[in-house]
Amino acid sequence: MRSLAHKIRIFGTVALAFGVGAAMVPTALKAQEGQLSLLVWEGYADPSFVKDFEAESGCKVQATYVGSNDDFAPKLAAGGGVYDLLSVSSDAAEVLVRAGFVEPIDISKVPEWNNIYEAFRNVKSINVDGQVWAVPFTWGANPFLYRTDKITTEPDSIAVMWDPQYKGKIGMWDDKSMLYNAARMLGIADPFNMTDEELEKVKAKLIEQKPLVRKYWSTAGEVINLFASDEVWISYTWGGLMLNELGKQNIPVKEFTPKEGADGWNDNWMIAKGSPNMDCAMKYINYMMSAKGQCGVSTVTGYSATNPVAAKTCMSPEEFKAKHQDDIDFVGKLHMWQAPPRIEEYTNAWNAVKAAP
Amino acid sequence: MTGRGRRNLFAAALVSVPLAWTIVFMFAPYAIMFTYSFYTKKFPMFVPDFQFGNYLMLFQDIQYRQVFVRTFKIASIVSLVALLLAYPVAYCLVFKVHSRKIRMAIYMAIIVPLWASYLLRAYTWKTILGSQGVLNSFLVWSGILAEPTPLFLYNQFSMVITLVHIFVPFMFMPIFTALEKIPRSLLEASKDLGVGRLGTFLKVTLPLSVPGIVAGITFTFCLSFGDFIAPFLVGGPDGFMIANIVQSQFGTALNWPLGSAISIAILAIVLLVITLSDRLERAGRLDLG
Repeated sequence: MRSLAHKIRIFGTVALAFGVGAAMVPTALKAQEGQLSLLVWEGYADPSFVKDFEAESGCKVQATYVGSNDDFAPKLAAGGGVYDLLSVSSDAAEVLVRAGFVEPIDISKVPEWNNIYEAFRNVKSINVDGQVWAVPFTWGANPFLYRTDKITTEPDSIAVMWDPQYKGKIGMWDDKSMLYNAARMLGIADPFNMTDEELEKVKAKLIEQKPLVRKYWSTAGEVINLFASDEVWISYTWGGLMLNELGKQNIPVKEFTPKEGADGWNDNWMIAKGSPNMDCAMKYINYMMSAKGQCGVSTVTGYSATNPVAAKTCMSPEEFKAKHQDDIDFVGKLHMWQAPPRIEEYTNAWNAVKAAP
Repeated sequence: MTGRGRRNLFAAALVSVPLAWTIVFMFAPYAIMFTYSFYTKKFPMFVPDFQFGNYLMLFQDIQYRQVFVRTFKIASIVSLVALLLAYPVAYCLVFKVHSRKIRMAIYMAIIVPLWASYLLRAYTWKTILGSQGVLNSFLVWSGILAEPTPLFLYNQFSMVITLVHIFVPFMFMPIFTALEKIPRSLLEASKDLGVGRLGTFLKVTLPLSVPGIVAGITFTFCLSFGDFIAPFLVGGPDGFMIANIVQSQFGTALNWPLGSAISIAILAIVLLVITLSDRLERAGRLDLG
């Protein structure tokens, strides 16, 4: 059995190397000219609006999806030249700038720039070192969804996620923003600047919740599936995108915004450093800022537009109002995501929650 | 050049291919990872350094110990269940199925799922074990359960089932080989000397198949120890395994130095298991004289 033992030794080591290595291999092909490679959230490269773009521009679009804002930097760190265009929430933008993963944007080549809500154009994390690094294209709030056939009274607080009545039917997003939500429920004043003590409290609260949780999900597709297959009755969600898809499958779900307030965010286009497709990337950005792109994304995802001038031409007055396009002050009522200055402690706390028994 | 010189050159060329392969695809990546494990995490990425903080972290922060222990537990249970399933099957196949054709057909039937995609097999378990899955539908339909139970999916139970199903061929193959190699004359001798069936099994067959068992356990344990797909697809909130931590350190946490240190720790554990199994196998050989 000498040779068998030897084979095992080699096999075991190689298998381990592959197992670990596989986590780091970028899934997309190397970026090619004319082939625009997007690293985006689900819903931002939907065929319903990408088809027209491809026909008009002659650029082909290929998308890889992220499950968290923390997915952008590692994917870019694993080697450049794979992705051209990224859709990053404002709070995650600055780390990409600082790490040198993105190109500055020449706003003189973005005709719709001045029509974008000022609140989003002026966000500090996309205006770094006197340059603009991103083009804001959509925004929204992250509500909770629940199955109306299983939960008959509309919940009003994040505390419902700790209700033992729903043990095994609760879904949580695998993302550090769960810390912000737990913090808000505990009445912590500034969830983005927690002290060690506050962070410990939040961590303990989330660990306490673990026996009630069915799954920490990481993609829109996954949580839609969890709702549809009766695994989950209530979950943190990205709102419209999931609501639309579940509606199509006739799954009775409704969204609610807890009294503690909802996470708010706005997403931006950023260009990856050294992209060989600058032309196509700028064309896609400008297409997404036009009426076709603004309403295209909004229809698929239910999110709001950042360009109200374009949105007015393609939304009905009711939709325009429902998506708060005439009332940008609504953004002030959301808890807009910010990058926590102590991001490492936050990531570590969320990992500790997942690691706990 | 003399004939001998040419032969030596040829031999060197032949050896250099696997050697180059090992250097490029094994030693170099491990050397890089080993180097990274001493670096320091610093916003936005990390900086070269030489310090042991990443390794110390593995002992200081309880989350890593918790996950190492869980991973060890899952991999052990998977190995044990796979052994209990694979051994009787391999035994029957070798000693009770006398037609060579049928034996090979069953052997292939057990091995063939290996050629199906890992992901596909894991997803299949999701559709079997889910709240609206095949198993629950059957139990409710047959009246055994009043309503579907959530107990089958998104927990350590579903992870063990999935991992056993995926890795059981690795347990089966070496045991089958070990059993097949046992000379029938030994079994007949035992019978002739008046030893019963159980006695023959315990004193002859089992000891002679130990190398196969050890090999099988080593395969299965190491493969499930490094798995990160099963926790992701069928695991629940208590299913986080060590490879998931590596993945999150290289991913969302953007802490490659810590991820490297954990990978090196995993490598050390796997090498230890392999060394131990090698010893065990050798000791087994001595017993037989």
